[in-house]
Amino acid sequence: MFAFLPLRCVYTNLKNVAALVEKGVVSKEMRLMVRAMRHVMSIRRKLKGPTVVSFLKSTLPSGSDALSRLLPYVSKEEEIGMDIDTPSSALHVSSHKQSILPELEIFTYLLVLIFLLDKKSYDKAKACSSGAIKRLQQLNRRTLDVLAARIYFYYSYSYELTNSLAEIRGTLLLLHRTATLHHDELGQETLLNLLLRNYLHYNLYDQAEKLRSKTQRAESHSHQQLCRYLYYLGRIRTIQLEYTDAKDSLMQAARKAPLSASGFRIQCNKWAAIVRLLLGEIPERTTFMQPGMRKALRPYFELTNAVRIGDLELFRQVAEKFSSTFYTDKTHNLIVRLRHNVIRTGLRNISISYSRISLTDVAAKLHLVSATPVDDAESIVTKAIRDGGIDAIVDHANGWMQSKETGDIYSTQEPQLAFHSRIAFCLNTHNEAVKALRFPPNAHKKELESAEKRRERQQQEQELAKHIAEEDDDEF
Amino acid sequence: MEAKFADAEKLFDRLKSAFVAQDYETSITLLSQLKVKLTEFSGLPPLYRQTPTQVQELVLARSILEYAVILSVKTEDQESFERHFLQLKPYYTDTRQLISRSSEEYPILGLNLLRLLVQNRIAEFHTELELLPPEALDDVCLKHAIELEQSFMEGAYNRVLNARQAFPHETYLYFMDLLAKTVRDEIAGCSEKAFDFLTVADAKKILMFSSDQELLKYAAE
Repeated sequence: MFAFLPLRCVYTNLKNVAALVEKGVVSKEMRLMVRAMRHVMSIRRKLKGPTVVSFLKSTLPSGSDALSRLLPYVSKEEEIGMDIDTPSSALHVSSHKQSILPELEIFTYLLVLIFLLDKKSYDKAKACSSGAIKRLQQLNRRTLDVLAARIYFYYSYSYELTNSLAEIRGTLLLLHRTATLHHDELGQETLLNLLLRNYLHYNLYDQAEKLRSKTQRAESHSHQQLCRYLYYLGRIRTIQLEYTDAKDSLMQAARKAPLSASGFRIQCNKWAAIVRLLLGEIPERTTFMQPGMRKALRPYFELTNAVRIGDLELFRQVAEKFSSTFYTDKTHNLIVRLRHNVIRTGLRNISISYSRISLTDVAAKLHLVSATPVDDAESIVTKAIRDGGIDAIVDHANGWMQSKETGDIYSTQEPQLAFHSRIAFCLNTHNEAVKALRFPPNAHKKELESAEKRRERQQQEQELAKHIAEEDDDEF
Repeated sequence: MEAKFADAEKLFDRLKSAFVAQDYETSITLLSQLKVKLTEFSGLPPLYRQTPTQVQELVLARSILEYAVILSVKTEDQESFERHFLQLKPYYTDTRQLISRSSEEYPILGLNLLRLLVQNRIAEFHTELELLPPEALDDVCLKHAIELEQSFMEGAYNRVLNARQAFPHETYLYFMDLLAKTVRDEIAGCSEKAFDFLTVADAKKILMFSSDQELLKYAAE
């Protein structure tokens, strides 16, 4: 394989990656392209201006308009003291090619984009990515899909960093249509996620949901894109008050995300915590104490405490103290909805601890601040009774609330029902496992493989195993 | 171009005077004529073509649609309210760079929120809420609608009925009445479960009726 010694110049590594891309195109294997991408990610930190310039000059034929478009972006970065690494002589071969594979051209665009973004020259990156998109629209090759998906992502990213996301919405929609027509599934998936991100950035939940419900999704090609999709789906569902679905999506996204994507996992966990609070269940302390996330999740931890105790005053204080965090996370409106839960929990605690309590005391305990706390308390209590939150009756004449006696629960049907649902679940799992163990019905009729076919199959299996083992790294 | 614009403006003035005189039929006919005139201007959404009079066209169109919205409240027509409001929305969101903010924007947004609350479309209520910038939440009309929703969710129905007295805008009356009816039904349902018995005087106070006859009529239903 290629030797990626860190002491060797970055230029050689880039050359090797380019060769890998070419090999991938020739053998039409996407795996090699994906591997090439991963290698680029690992050397991106060491990229320097002169290296990129010399790489561009040697890969792209001189006089091509790609070269003339890309060079100005890079050379301006390092005008003074250009100290070109001398490439080893053996790799001069490709500099005299007249026509170059489109994949290599797009690859150079991608490299320049990454380089500009790392150097934080966002406007140049914006211009470069627009150029790349125009070039991509002229080409229609399936081998370009992996590279194209990356370019779409960086295109959207560079616009997001310059706060002009709304401008590219039309282009993204057009690209999505084209990708669907070309059956470019990876591109479709990436573009759908980028569009959702675009809409959610501006809080346009309605339009995001309309788009999402109308597009067809094939099975996911990229693990990262799947995690992102689940997160966006969870957010949309939360705003639309469908908390159970939202909780499933968000928990899945948090679990499937790779360990190194800590920012993403923190966001997922924040939203998941709020959705669980809105559903009425209290997330455990351990979810907030995961390594690396403790500080970021601190506001949510204090919020959970306030909800658990049912203290409206504490809740108000916490909400005010961390209001800026909540605004940046866009969870502010959800926190406001939580007030209702706090009151309900407080009421439940009161009804359990007191058999009879006057409504003025209820109002005082709940810290209900308003002009008519007693009437408020009365209405809230009656609603809670109707919703089944608490078991009590209100005596209006005397102005108190009387809790009903909670009978012996074992004498009711409750334990039986709980057992029944658990047994049903276990039996279902057992049945499905047995079904999965069954051999396909006509297996004995297939011919036995010859020795040659077996060798070939084993070789393929080995390569696949190696590929799966390597797949654990980060892509983006 | 200028002539068409001047025509439209004259028609709009007639609409305004008919509206003030509370003559709703003429207002509606004038409105339909104005809408036809509006289609001739190309500076409006969805085209947004750059014409010399584009800014005035946008302002005029927006005012016309705002009047249409308020008119549909007065004529108690909820579907036309929804239609006109949806037409008005792009003027509030997309034209922010082109024209200055309208003074009626927040009251109308508040009206829409209230309408969604009355029709029990809470998911859309919250989606609309997300679209508001943080400083909008301090506005009186919007705060009124938001607090109403909170009280409704919490069950403090008496606060809802009290808020009916403290409305910020006269156009809110219609929706507040509808809301009061819904709230009364809710209170009745809750009281049924919660109270074992209730004197007539107490029931009157809780349901906020002003006289015994209304109470007895309601109880008969």
